[in-house]
Amino acid sequence: MPLVTRNIEPRHVCRQTIPSNIRSELECVTNISLANIIRQLGSLSKYAEDVFGELFVQAGAFALRVNTLGERVDRLQVKVTQLDPKEEEVSLQAITTRKAFRSSVTQDQQLFTRPSLPLPVQDTYTTCDPPPPLNQLSQYREDGKEALKFYTDPSYFFDLWKEKMLQDTKDIMKEKRKHRREKKDHLNQRTLNPRKIKTRKEEWERRKMGEEFVVPKNEMMNSSEGLNGSIGSGEGFTSEGLEQSTGSYAYDPSSPLSMPGSDDFLPPPPPDMAYNDGQYGAPTQKRVSVLSPSHPPPAPPMASSPPNSRPNLAPPPAPPPPPPPSGFGVPPPPPGFDAPPSPPPLSSSPSAYPSPPAPPPPPTMSTVSPPPPPPMPPGAGPPPPPPPPPPPGPPPPAFNNSAPPPPSGGGSAPSSAPKPQPAPEPEGDARSDLLQAIRQGFNLRKVEAQREQEKRDHFGNDVAAILSRRIAVECSDSEDDSSEFDDDEWSD
Amino acid sequence: MNAELSCDSSNMAGQEDPVQREIHQDWANREYIEVITSSIKKIADFLNSFDMSCRSRLATLNEKLTALERRIEYIEARVTKGETLT
Repeated sequence: MPLVTRNIEPRHVCRQTIPSNIRSELECVTNISLANIIRQLGSLSKYAEDVFGELFVQAGAFALRVNTLGERVDRLQVKVTQLDPKEEEVSLQAITTRKAFRSSVTQDQQLFTRPSLPLPVQDTYTTCDPPPPLNQLSQYREDGKEALKFYTDPSYFFDLWKEKMLQDTKDIMKEKRKHRREKKDHLNQRTLNPRKIKTRKEEWERRKMGEEFVVPKNEMMNSSEGLNGSIGSGEGFTSEGLEQSTGSYAYDPSSPLSMPGSDDFLPPPPPDMAYNDGQYGAPTQKRVSVLSPSHPPPAPPMASSPPNSRPNLAPPPAPPPPPPPSGFGVPPPPPGFDAPPSPPPLSSSPSAYPSPPAPPPPPTMSTVSPPPPPPMPPGAGPPPPPPPPPPPGPPPPAFNNSAPPPPSGGGSAPSSAPKPQPAPEPEGDARSDLLQAIRQGFNLRKVEAQREQEKRDHFGNDVAAILSRRIAVECSDSEDDSSEFDDDEWSD
Repeated sequence: MNAELSCDSSNMAGQEDPVQREIHQDWANREYIEVITSSIKKIADFLNSFDMSCRSRLATLNEKLTALERRIEYIEARVTKGETLT
């Protein structure tokens, strides 16, 4: 229904009651009509002035912008003339060190609010009856709310939407934290990044042995996911005809199809890993996939690698401190390495360790790998103690106890120990200081509530911008979460 | 008879004249008022159409200005980076 913006006052020129004591009625009507015409002209001129005023204000704003634009163009002109004779930038550092250009897209807010109403419409609103003065009763309320809000609240929908947005942001943050914790638990056993790279190569490797023996990954996944730490996943690989593979299958935990080709080198599945694997289905298999590169190489190197790989793989399941993603990045390259089968698995396996997750440089690992077990145990001794204290996390002492036996990680452990320590430290503090956390939590809740209320009071209507940003963050977060989940599902 | 008729006609004419004059005058006044009100309506229509056309032109101007501003921002970013680097 279109609202009339400007209504010329005397609507009907001639419709007026004529006093009865007049003789010449026609003249009276004529005079009354002329008077109303003059009143109409008056209101018309007033509205015309209003119309031209609005247009003038807009044109003035545009004139300002055009002037500023003209000044900027002049400056740019000068700059461009100065740039021409100068040397062009060729250094690559310039490309990387330069701050990326981002155009500022201004978003208009508060477009249809009461203050932004045009004046004539505001006048029309003022002619309406105001709501009853219920706010005089608000002093008798215990809630502290305004009494008029129960009768009519113009900000009701905005407040509702604001609350919903805040709730959504909190929920998303909580979910993210949960997923991060869960992923940290599984980080020891999984390597998210390498999965993507490995799958294709695994498929090619599987097909190398003959397409006849290629078992669809779904079957393997179903069998592997259904049984935590089960040997079922090894069934699919028996067709590959490698003796070592059969032995390695037994250790394959419920790893998803991430390691179809690497099944030959499945490490002994740690029992603790089982429940972790069940959730995401690809715990230690990353380490197994690490061994996969040895699959194509000749058997003898395989024989040497499995024993090394197994001890290497044992520590990975132990501590859950979130291994740095770079550590997982190491396993993916190994599948491509055919020449040094043993070093890559060793290098990748220690990188997969959550406790010493620091990705050891391959050359150092290659040096460590040739003299396999003997040097390992002494090195494994010192590293295991540091990792256990920092991560009191999910698979705590069981994994820590199992960590010492795998000596392969010892070489990289000392270097990587300091790195994972800071990450697991917060987890340790959270778990060890329950009382303090509870107390702090209670205090924080009160303070946080007050702070939130204060923030809301201070921000006021500006929250609209913040909320719009939160929505963008939520969308990005949800996309990131979904993408992460998709990656897990796809890799699994 | 004739005189009465003549008188009657004169009287009728006299009665008609003032009434007719009054009615004619009223018609003239109404026409005058009608002309004025129609011109007022034309002025109102002109104001509305002028307002609409002005707003549309200012909106297109606004779009062009924003596009220009974005282009200038981009060019400034390109040019200043070059300067800082050199």
